[in-house]
Formats: sequence, structure tokens, C-alpha cells
Amino acid sequence: MRSYIGKRLLAIIPIFLFATLLSFVLIHLSPVDPAEVYLTVAHIHPTEELLAEVRHEFGLDQPLLVQYVESLMKMCRLDFGTSYVTKEPVWQEVAHRMPATLQLAFSSICLAVLISVPIGFLSAVYKNSVIDHFSRLLAFFGASIPQFWLGYLLIFFLSVKLDLFPVQGKGTWAHLFLPSLTLSLGLIAIYTRLLRTSVLEQMQEPYVLYARTRGIKEKVIMGKHVLKIAISPMITGLGMNIGKLLSGTIIVEVVFSWPGFGRYFVEAILNRDIPVIQCYVFLVACIYIVCNLIVDLLQMVMDPRISWKGRTSP
Amino acid sequence: MFESKGKILVIMLLILTITLVGCSKPNAAQNSGAEVVQKDKTITVSLPRDIGPMNPHVYNPSQLIAQSMIYEPLVSYKEGGKLEPHLAESWIISQDGKEYTFKLRQNVKFSDGTVFNAAIVKKNFDAVMKNFKNHSWLGFINVLDKTETVDEYTFKLTLKQAYYPTIQELAVVRPVRFLGEAGFPDDGDTSKSVKNSVGTGPWMLTSYKKDEYAEFTRNPNYWGEKPKVNKMVIKIIPDGETSVLAFEKKELDLIYGEGVISLDAFKQLKASGKYETSLSEPIATREVVMNTTKDILADLRVRLALHHGFNKQAMVDGITAGLEEKADNILSKNLPYTNVDVKPLEYNVDKAKAYLEEAGWKLPAGKTVREKDGKPLELELLYEKSDQVQKPMAETLQAEWGAIGVKLNITSLELTAQIKRLRAADFDLYFWSNYGAPYDPHSFINVVATKGFGISESLSSLPMKKELDQQVNDTVLSTDENKRQQLYSSILKTLHEQASFLPISYIKKTAVYQKDVKGFVFPANRDDNPFLGLDTVKK
Repeated sequence: MRSYIGKRLLAIIPIFLFATLLSFVLIHLSPVDPAEVYLTVAHIHPTEELLAEVRHEFGLDQPLLVQYVESLMKMCRLDFGTSYVTKEPVWQEVAHRMPATLQLAFSSICLAVLISVPIGFLSAVYKNSVIDHFSRLLAFFGASIPQFWLGYLLIFFLSVKLDLFPVQGKGTWAHLFLPSLTLSLGLIAIYTRLLRTSVLEQMQEPYVLYARTRGIKEKVIMGKHVLKIAISPMITGLGMNIGKLLSGTIIVEVVFSWPGFGRYFVEAILNRDIPVIQCYVFLVACIYIVCNLIVDLLQMVMDPRISWKGRTSP
Repeated sequence: MFESKGKILVIMLLILTITLVGCSKPNAAQNSGAEVVQKDKTITVSLPRDIGPMNPHVYNPSQLIAQSMIYEPLVSYKEGGKLEPHLAESWIISQDGKEYTFKLRQNVKFSDGTVFNAAIVKKNFDAVMKNFKNHSWLGFINVLDKTETVDEYTFKLTLKQAYYPTIQELAVVRPVRFLGEAGFPDDGDTSKSVKNSVGTGPWMLTSYKKDEYAEFTRNPNYWGEKPKVNKMVIKIIPDGETSVLAFEKKELDLIYGEGVISLDAFKQLKASGKYETSLSEPIATREVVMNTTKDILADLRVRLALHHGFNKQAMVDGITAGLEEKADNILSKNLPYTNVDVKPLEYNVDKAKAYLEEAGWKLPAGKTVREKDGKPLELELLYEKSDQVQKPMAETLQAEWGAIGVKLNITSLELTAQIKRLRAADFDLYFWSNYGAPYDPHSFINVVATKGFGISESLSSLPMKKELDQQVNDTVLSTDENKRQQLYSSILKTLHEQASFLPISYIKKTAVYQKDVKGFVFPANRDDNPFLGLDTVKK
């Protein structure tokens, strides 16, 4: 197990290097001079003299390779430079906003699990019943509706018309509910159907028939055995959807004025705030890698048939 | 068997939902984490960006509207370009136009109770001049020689040369407004940060949560007429549609600004009849700059043809639904020295075609695009990707000019890329607008004459460009009001006749407010706030 984790951790290095190189190349392929952007967002008229000063200050007059290596070394120290717009250290800005984003993401995952597990499970147990039709409808709706539009709809009906929740901002549980629901609906759509399919598959397995013939209660079979195994693909899906969730927070944070990192990133893109963009790419790459590793380890813990060598035991 | 389990799960879900709903307090005073107690009178507005560090001497990310609530100028800009005393109660300009002596008000205190005097004025100017390169866009900063305190309430500016817009430029929101002693960092260099936002203005920042809200309360030491409401709350709402929904739910009392909500949203709120709406005087002119250094556009007749070749009134009405006003002048007449009568270049397709024929652009049989020496009459118009008005206008011009045989390619760019091409004069046609009050008209004529902004470069093929540059220079050096007016009239008339600027519409600010909000007036200064006279009759 240790060697497996070690190998997986080593594999992070090339992935991380590739992600940072890609972001560096993409940023430098842009036709806009970062020094010019820096002065423009500061509302300073970019004379040639000032441009040269800024380029020197940021090391933009160095060869590209030197720039890349330096930025990589700084990243390892969590030094992403200062934001062009706020003139504050990027890491400080991110650290200030990240808790809000994580709170939103975590509550969305919790909400998605709380809603999709019972609905998915019951729609499999009561196949073709009302609850099954409802879950199918929910899945269609959740998978197809654009997040920003769903956000506006929820605000309009639940906030403006019914006055149940505040329209925007952060503070209480009430502020958290609508953005979490908006963000989680896409996940609910996926997990509900995934769990339903998985439970139906497990119900056809011989061990279920064997357990029934042994006289084990149906409740125990379904709850203790079937659900435990059927939930495994959902955990994989959860790991794979973390990225989707993070990109979703960008839209949801803007719609609900949620003061998180996603909103900050949107402004960074609009302002071409390169240090912030680089930091975001770095963080998202790290989150993807770590989440995938955690999901793999969790699955192994939950399903002993999956070996540490990465293949299923007979 | 599972019925009971299913029921339990459904009940659990219901309990969760009810609990979450129960946590909400359904009232309009719900605030982003702010503990709002409806004390006396509060007005809540939205702003798309955080107010920033409230440093009076720097630009982004501090927001102009919030800076103008705390910090005040020596001179204020009023309707019609009148410059009135503010922190300075009077001033004397020397005969040669180089020395400005200001008598300061003697009853002014900062929000922390400290005295406003010539020493603190000088300290602020010194802090600004320490980083004068950052403020080179402001004309008088470039010619400022020295500042001195004559006595406790007399302050003097000395310029290297006469520069008439100095007084007007002292009305801008940044960087020449005044921070109290307690706000200065130990080294006196405000370009990095300030300790506290201590100003002389009517408001004080009393509660602030980055990216969420800012609360301003009345400055008890304010020297002028005090605000009618006790508190102004600015909520940070980046999305215009969310602002509208928050406004409809009465979480906001006022939505104010340029482009803060879509034109459709404004029209919808206006049509509902439930709210008050108003439009400001023109704040700037939306126009298309024609690059005269390009072969096709170097010909005045082609430029005139483009002016006459589209129905401006229909386009402005159709796209902005009357929220903007058709423009015939390069600069709107509510700015100083701009009340110049020019003959509008009206919509006239026949005239447009005749100009093109005269310029040698013929329409070959069976073709839709005119040609000259085998070259098609093809132009490119740049517009900003995210601008809701520029895109439909670009498409309209493409269709309208297509009808007179001009092929218009429209290219959308991000603002930064667009500005880069403007500065390099790498464009045929470019959507542009002037700066508005209190920056114009002198900032406008400055970009006409000064290289580096892209405008002067694009006008460089005009036959009288050198004369224009000289006139601009004479204007800013002028000390005689009549001569200055003559020069402005001449510059504006020449530019109008040369048709290198195509004025389209006058941009206006919008305001939507609840019926219980009273006393809303648009400020004359484009960047100022309108909150001083606001009142509310909220129960």
C-alpha cells in the first residue's frame, strides 16, 4: 500500500509540470503584453519607459525558459507574485477567498449525496414507480439546465416571489442553500442515475439470491450489502466531478454574489491578471490530482477485491 | 418493507429542507453577513466590484464612487461645467497662468476630528508627486513645478508653464483628493497603502467585508450640508441580473451607474411602473474613430460617405430603446466650450453613393462591393466582445454600409487586445468614447494632439494636423477665455468637417430606485456619487 501511494505521489510531478507548462505557454501565446495589462488595469498610461520598468520589475525581459523555471520555483514556495489589480500577494488573496468556495463546494456535495442516494436507491428498488419516474425527470432536468439559468430561476421563485431566501451574499445557512442547490443539481442528476443502475446490477448478482435463500432480511441485504457495493461507482464519479464542481462554482459565485475564489478568478480573466490565473491553474491541477488519489484509495478500502497493484483480484 | 425506510428518508429530506428554510429570516433587511439593524434611515445600493482599499491617491482596485464619498476636492465640477469652490473657498490665478493660490475653508475637519489646512494639502500633493509617473495622464501633474503653504489656510501651486485646465483637473476624484494625517503610512508614501480612510467627505467607512459589503455612516464633523440618511450600504453584486432581482426583492433601494444593468432590464423595470427610473444628461459620446492613415479612409469623401450612409436615428433608437440619444456633435454640448454649432451629417444614401462614386469607388456589374483599381472597398470595425451595445451597432453598420457598396468586417476583441491595437493605430474603424466630465474637453483635445493614445496617430493624415496640434497647444496655454473658446470652436469644427470622428450617440447613466427614495440627482461629475441629497421615507 505504501509503495502504491509513493508511486502515485511521484506521478504527480510530471502531471503538475505539464499543467504549469501548458498554462505558461497559453498565457505567453496571448497577443497582449502582461506589462501593458498591468499598467492598463492600474489606469496608468503605458509609455515605453514605464513598460520597460514594469517588464524589468516582473522579470518579463528574461528569456522564456528562465521565466518558466523561476515561476515554477516560486510556485513550489506558494509564491505566485502579486495581483496586477489589487497589488496584494496572490496567495494571500486566494487564502482569503478559498474558505468560501470550499464551503460552497462541500455543502453542494453533501446536498448532492443527501438527495441522490435515497432517490437513486429507491428508484432502483421501486423500478418504474412514481419515484423512479420522478428521478428520471430530475436527472433530465439537472443534466440539461444551464447552471446560471437555474440560479436565476431559483432566485426568482424562491427568493423574489416566495421570499424564503436572500437573493445574494453570504452569512447564514439561508444564504448558502440556493447556491448549493444550484451547484448540486447537476451532480444529483448524475449520481441518482448512476446509483440506480448500480443497484439494479447488484440485485441481479448471485450473492443477493444466496443471501435471500439463507433467509437474510431484505432490508439487511439491500442496505448492508447491495448499497455498500453499488455506491462505489458513485465515489469514482464524485472524484471525477470535483473539477466540474469547481468550474461550476465560478458561475454560481457570480450569480449569487458569493465571495469565493471562482468570482475572483472571473475578474482575473477579465483583467488578464496573469499571476492569479497561474495560481488558479496550479490549484485546480493539485485538486484534481489529490482528489483522484483519495478516490482510488477510498475504493480500495471499500472494495477489498481491488488490489494495490491496480487490478481486480480474482 | 422499504416503504417505511423510504418514508423515513423522505421525512429526513423534508426536515433538512425545513431546517434550512427555517434558518432564513424572510425580510428585506437580510444582508451578506452584516448585522443589519434598521436604524433610522439607510439606503442600500449595489456595486459590481469591491470598493477596494479606499486610497485616494491610487486607481484600481479602489472604486471611484466610494472614493468620492470619503474624499473631497479643492474645486467641484457642477452642471454645465461650472467650477465651484469646495475645500478651497476661492482661488487666484496669476497673470501668466502659472501660479494658483487657494484660500482654504477654515471650518473643515477630517472625520477623525483633525483640522484640514494647507499643511495637509501639501502633504497630499507631495505624496501624489512622489509617484507622478503614475499620474501623467493628468495634464497639470506634468507641468507642476512646486507646491507651498503660504500660511495655515493658503496653499499655492506653481506650474512650469500655463495650463488652463488645472482648476478643472483639481475636481477629478483621484488622485488629488485629501487624506487625513492618520491615514498616511509612516514613510508618507501612499502609493503602496494607507492606514485608514480618513477624509473630509460626508461619509465614513464604518463596516467593511471584502467582496461582500461596505457600510458608510454620516461623518459627524462634515462641514457642509449633512446627508439626509444615516447610512449608505454598498452591496457587492458582480452580476447585473442578480442586482435586478435583489432590487425587486427590495434588498436594494437604488441601482445606479453606467452599464450596471442591461438595457433590457432597465426597460423592464421602467415598464413595470413600480419603480422610479431616470436618465442622466449625456456623459460621453459613443463614436467611431476612422483611421485616416489607412488608404481608403485617407479620402475625406469616403469618410463623409460613411457618415451619410446609415440611419443613425433608427440605429440608436432600435438598439438602445431611447436610453441613448442620437449624437451629431463629437462632444456633447453640456461640457465647457463645446456649445459649437455644426451642420449635422444626416442620413442620405444618395449622397453617400455620390461621394463614393466621386472618390472613384465604382460598383462593378453583378457585384455588391465597390472597387477601385481592382481593390474592393473593404474595412474592418473593432468592437468590444462584452459590450451589449457595440455588437448590434457593428452588425447594423455592416448591413447599412453594405447597401452602399462597402464591405465591413466586424472583429470582436477583448478590451486589453483592443486597446493595444488602438494605441498602435492598427485599425480601420474603432468604437471609442470620450472621457466625460470633468476630464473633457481638454482631455479630448489632448489625445487629438498627443501621440501614444492612438487617436492622434489615426488623425495624422489630416492635411491640417499640424495646425490642429498647434491650436491644442495654444488652447491649454491660453489665459484668455474668449481666445480659448475660439480655439475650441475651431478645433471641434475642423474635426467635424474632416469627418474622422463619427458620433453615434450620447451615452447616459441610468438610475432605478424604489418609490420611497427621494431626492435622487445625477452628479455633474461622471465619477462622483449621487448620495448626498438622497432621502428615504421607508417605514
